[in-house]
Amino acid sequence: MTTATMAREISKGGSVSSSGGVERDPLCQYLTFSLWGESFAIPIEHVREIIEFGGITTIPMMPPFLRGVINLRGAVVPVVDVQARFGRGETNIAKRTCVVIVEVLVQESPHMLGVLVDSVSEVLTLDRSRLEAKPSFGSGIRSDFVEGILNLEDRFIVTLDIDKVLSVEEMAALVGASSSGRPEDPA
Amino acid sequence: MDMAAARATLVQESRELLSEMENALLEMERNGTSEEGVHAVFRAAHTIKGSAGLFGLEHVVRFTHSMESVLDGVRAGRAEMSAELLALMVDCGDHLSSLIDAVEQGILDRDPDSERAGALLDRLSPPVADSGSRALTERVIETRAEEIASPRAVLNDAWHISLRLARDVLKSGMDPMSFLNYLSGLGEVLAVELLEDDLPPLSELDPEILHLGIEVRFSSEATRQQIEAAFEFVSEGSLIRILPPHARIEEYLEFLRTMPESDRRLGEILVACGALTPNELEKVLAFQRESGEKPIGKIFVEERIVPPVVVETALRKQAVTKASSRDIRVVKVEAEKLDILIDLVGELVIASAAARVAALGEGAKASAEAVGTLATLVEEIRDSALGLRMVPIGEVFQRFPRMVRDISRDLGKSVELVISGAEAELDKSMVDRIADPLTHIVRNSLDHGLETEAVRIAAGKPAQGTISFNAYHETGSIVIEVSDDGAGIRRDKVLAKAIERGIAQAGQELTDREILNLVFEAGFSTADSVSDLSGRGVGMDVVRRNVEALRGEIELQSVEGQGTTTRLRLPLTLAIIDGFHFLVGKSSYVVPLDMVKECADLVESDLHGGIVRFRGEPLPVIQLRKLFSVDEPPSRRRSLVVAQHGSQRVGLVVDQLAGELQAVIKPLGPMFRNLRAVGGTTILGNGSVALILDIPRLAQIAVETSAERDLGRTIFFSKKQEVPSCN
Repeated sequence: MTTATMAREISKGGSVSSSGGVERDPLCQYLTFSLWGESFAIPIEHVREIIEFGGITTIPMMPPFLRGVINLRGAVVPVVDVQARFGRGETNIAKRTCVVIVEVLVQESPHMLGVLVDSVSEVLTLDRSRLEAKPSFGSGIRSDFVEGILNLEDRFIVTLDIDKVLSVEEMAALVGASSSGRPEDPA
Repeated sequence: MDMAAARATLVQESRELLSEMENALLEMERNGTSEEGVHAVFRAAHTIKGSAGLFGLEHVVRFTHSMESVLDGVRAGRAEMSAELLALMVDCGDHLSSLIDAVEQGILDRDPDSERAGALLDRLSPPVADSGSRALTERVIETRAEEIASPRAVLNDAWHISLRLARDVLKSGMDPMSFLNYLSGLGEVLAVELLEDDLPPLSELDPEILHLGIEVRFSSEATRQQIEAAFEFVSEGSLIRILPPHARIEEYLEFLRTMPESDRRLGEILVACGALTPNELEKVLAFQRESGEKPIGKIFVEERIVPPVVVETALRKQAVTKASSRDIRVVKVEAEKLDILIDLVGELVIASAAARVAALGEGAKASAEAVGTLATLVEEIRDSALGLRMVPIGEVFQRFPRMVRDISRDLGKSVELVISGAEAELDKSMVDRIADPLTHIVRNSLDHGLETEAVRIAAGKPAQGTISFNAYHETGSIVIEVSDDGAGIRRDKVLAKAIERGIAQAGQELTDREILNLVFEAGFSTADSVSDLSGRGVGMDVVRRNVEALRGEIELQSVEGQGTTTRLRLPLTLAIIDGFHFLVGKSSYVVPLDMVKECADLVESDLHGGIVRFRGEPLPVIQLRKLFSVDEPPSRRRSLVVAQHGSQRVGLVVDQLAGELQAVIKPLGPMFRNLRAVGGTTILGNGSVALILDIPRLAQIAVETSAERDLGRTIFFSKKQEVPSCN
C-alpha cells in the first residue's frame, strides 16, 4: 500500500469515527506498521498523516527516543523513536522509514507528535469483537503500552495505547532526567 | 455603528477614565490634594455621567451625579478633599467600575449591588460635606432655575403644531380645516403657514389628494394632552408634531430632523409663522451641521433612546474628544488583529528566506538582487509590525499602586510605591503575561518582606517602607526590578525550611546564591502561617516557571535587614528576532543577534581548555561540539562567536558561521519544558529547523558543569525532577 492510498484510507477512517461514534460502531480501524519486523497497530483516530522520513533536526542532549524535530508545514513537531522508547535500541533509518504524525491531548489541548516506524503496512477495518484484552505478559513491551491484541485469522497484532506510549508528561520528565552529556568538561 | 458597538465603546472609555481617576486619587492620597487631581476625578465622573445618560443608564447617571456634586463642591472650595473623602471616592470608583462591568454584561437598567450604592450615596451626601451640604443644595436649586430659564429655550411663548396629514385624508372625509376650527375652540390660532412645495402642476392635480403641510402657531392654556386629543381620529400615515411654548432649541432641532422637508425650507416657514426668530433658526441649523457629522448622535435620535437634550450634551462632548484625539492621532486597533498581522509577517519572513535560498541556488544575479531588495523591505515591515505591538511597561505597573495601598492597609503597614522606567517598551503579549508573576512578587514583598512600622522604627529604618519598580532595556532584553527595603531574606530560615521540606540536605555546602534560589523550588514557603495574600498555594516556583516560559530569567538579591530585589530579565518579544546563525556538526543553531558582539576565526593555539586568548584577554568559552556530544568529524577550521549577556562575556566555539537571519520563534512545546539550553526553534530558508540557543542558560550550564566536574556528572537540566502531574 502506498502512502497516498493510505492517506485516503485515513481520511475515510477519520470520518467514520467522527460521524459514527466509536462506542456504537461495530467496526474499528487500525493503522498497522512494522518495527524491526514486528507488526503493531494504533487506532486510526489518532493518525493525522504519514510522511517520509527526512529533514530532521536533532536536539542535543536528548534521551535516545527523542530523535529530533521536523518542520511540518511551519509547525515544529517532535519525532519519537518508539523502538527506543520500548528500550529496544534506536531505529535505523532505511528507505521505507516513515514518520506517522499522530495527535495526542496534552492537558486538554491537541499536540502533534511524529512516530518513527520502519514502514507502514495497511489500514485494517475489522469487527470490534476481534480486539482482545491485553495479555498480562508476552507482548514483549511494557504492558501499559499495550492497548489490546487484534485477533486476525493468521496472526496477532499488538495494538498500542498511544496516550501511554506517547505520554508527553512522562517523556518530558525523561527529557529532564536524561544526562547523556559526557563526563568530561565541555568548557 | 450599532448600539452594541457603541456600548462597548462606552465600557472601554469608562474603564480608561476610571483608571485615570484611581491614579489621581491614589496620587492625592500620597502627595496631598491637588487642584489637578480633583479636576481629573471630577472629569472622569462627569464624562461617565454624560455617556451613561446617552444610553439611558439612569442608575449610573444618578450615582455619578452624586459624586460629581460633591467633587464640584471641592472644586469650588466649599468642601475639603479630606482623607475620608479620598477613600470614599476610591470606593465609589470601585462601585462605578462594577456598574460598568454589569453594563458590559448587558445589565442596563439596574444597579446589581444597590445596597452598596445606597451606602455609598449616604456617605456621599450628609457626613462628608458638612460645610459643603449647603452649597450642594444651593447648586441643585441653581440647576433647577437654569432649567427653567434655559438660554437654549426659544422666545416663542406659543405652541407650535406641525401637521403632515396623510395624503388620503380627504378621501376618508376629513377636512384639515376642521382641525383648525377645533383648535380655535381651545385657544387662539396666531398664525398658519402652508407648505405647498409638494403641489403638482395643475394638470396633474388630484383634488382628492392632500398636498399641503400645515404649520400652526397656537396660543392656549390647554395641556399637551388636550391639544393631542384634537388629532385623535386622524388617519394612519399622518405626522403630527407638537412643540410646547419656550421649547428648547434642541427640540426644534429634532423636529427639523424628523420632518420630510429640507431643514432650511422648513426653518423659514417656522420663522414666517413666528415659531422661531431668524437668530434662533441659525442656531438650530448650526447645531444641525455640527451634529450631522456625528453618527452616534443620529443613532440616538433615530432610535429615540434619549431625549434630544442629552444628545446635545453628548454632541458637545464628542466635539471635545474629537478635537483632543486629533492632537495625538491615535488609532485603536484590536489586539487580535495585530496578532494575526504579526503571524503573517512571521510567515512572510520565512517565505522570503526560502525565496532567497532559491534565488542563490539558481545563481541568477537579477533575481538574487530582487530578492535582496524584497528581504530588506520584509525586514522593515517586520520591525514596524512588531513596533505596533510594543507598549510601555507602565501599563503593567499601573495596577500596583492600588494593590499596594489596599494590601498595606489590610496588613497595617505603611508603604510607599516608587515607579521608574515605566516608559520602557515591550511586546504587548509579554505585558499580559508578566502581570501575574509581578503581582506575586509584590505580594511577597508586602507580606514577608516589609516589616510593620514598629519593627522598622526599632530597626532604625524610616517608619514607611518602600517598594520600588524599575525597568530598563539591556541588550535586547527588558529588565524589571522589584525592590523593597524590608527585612530581607534570612538564609538560615530558608535553609532550615528547605531541609524540612526535603528540598535540601542537611550538611550540604551551599553558596549564598544557591540558598536564595531554594526559594524558587516547588513546595517551598517560608511563611509560618498561610496568609491571605501570598502563600496561597502558588509560590515562587510558579513565578519562575512563568518567567521561564517567556524565555526570561529571574534572580533574587537580598541583604538581611536591608531588603530584597527581584530581577526579571525578559526578551522584548516572543515573535521574531534578529538572529545569528551557525553550525555545529550538521545542526543549525541561532542566537539572538544583539547578544553577539563579534565573530572570529579560532586560533587553535590560543585555546587553553575552557579559556581562549582573545585580543590578548582571557575569554571563557563553551565548546558546543563537546557540550552537545556531536559525533560527526570536526571541521578543520573552527570559529568563535563572542556573546555578551549583561556584564558577562562568553565565547562559543562553533564549526561554521552562517551569518545573520530573521528568526521567527516557534516554541518547542511541552515535551521540552525541562530542556534549558534551547529557548525555541525557528525554520530556515531551506525548510529545516534550527534551534535557538539560550546563551544565559548555556553559560549557567557551563558554570555548573565545571563546578561538578569532580563528581563526574553533568547537569543540563533543571535540578529538580518532578514528574508533573496531569491537571
